Amino acid sequence: MSGPRPSADVTRVETAFGSFDVAADQILSFPAGMPGFEECRRFVVLSSRELEPFQCLQSVEGPTASFLVVDPRRAFPDYRCVLSEVDRARMGQPDEAGLVWLAIVTVQADQTMVNLRAPVVVNPTRMIGFQLMPSNSLYPLRFELTRLH
Amino acid sequence: MLVFTRRRNEAIIVADGIEIRVLRVSKDAVRLGVTAPADVPVHRQEIYDQIREENRRAASSPATLPAVLGQVARRSEEPA
Repeated sequence: MSGPRPSADVTRVETAFGSFDVAADQILSFPAGMPGFEECRRFVVLSSRELEPFQCLQSVEGPTASFLVVDPRRAFPDYRCVLSEVDRARMGQPDEAGLVWLAIVTVQADQTMVNLRAPVVVNPTRMIGFQLMPSNSLYPLRFELTRLH
Repeated sequence: MLVFTRRRNEAIIVADGIEIRVLRVSKDAVRLGVTAPADVPVHRQEIYDQIREENRRAASSPATLPAVLGQVARRSEEPA
């Protein structure tokens, strides 16, 4: 991810998982922020070989909003979340096959939890993302990640 | 905080096109109807609060990636 020369279009982002050079066209808009981090409206999804299969969802406006994320299907293979009409509308009526789903990982002393209740969904076509709060989801807020599928 | 007194079937309007109407009043509960534009989400506060707390916990996770991978790898070796 490191370009040969930094330019005006590249931002260097420092994370707990290393430094990344982020091009302006990689930056996602989160118009509602994230619950608890409502002021953070611009995020980037960072990948590296060391992080695989995890990624880092990182705010580019401050160091506080940094989340380890994973495809929810790596935690729970049958995972399926249906977009509500409101979510479809604010994501721009996306082609659902092209959406990217990310579940937030919480690391504790001896447990790793994955939030399957409120997934982050990104529409790469519009470079826009939201953390969904489906009212009727049966998935747990804290699903223990015991193995990766 | 703005405070209103509303009777049954009366409403307040927030911004452009968000209507919150009192549908029913009982001893210790009020049933509200919310009409909002198609792209405006409406949540019960306690659900939002739970997700906010979990996000804060996730963002302050002290562990580094090797710790996560180690935990998951150790458990993946255990019998299902």
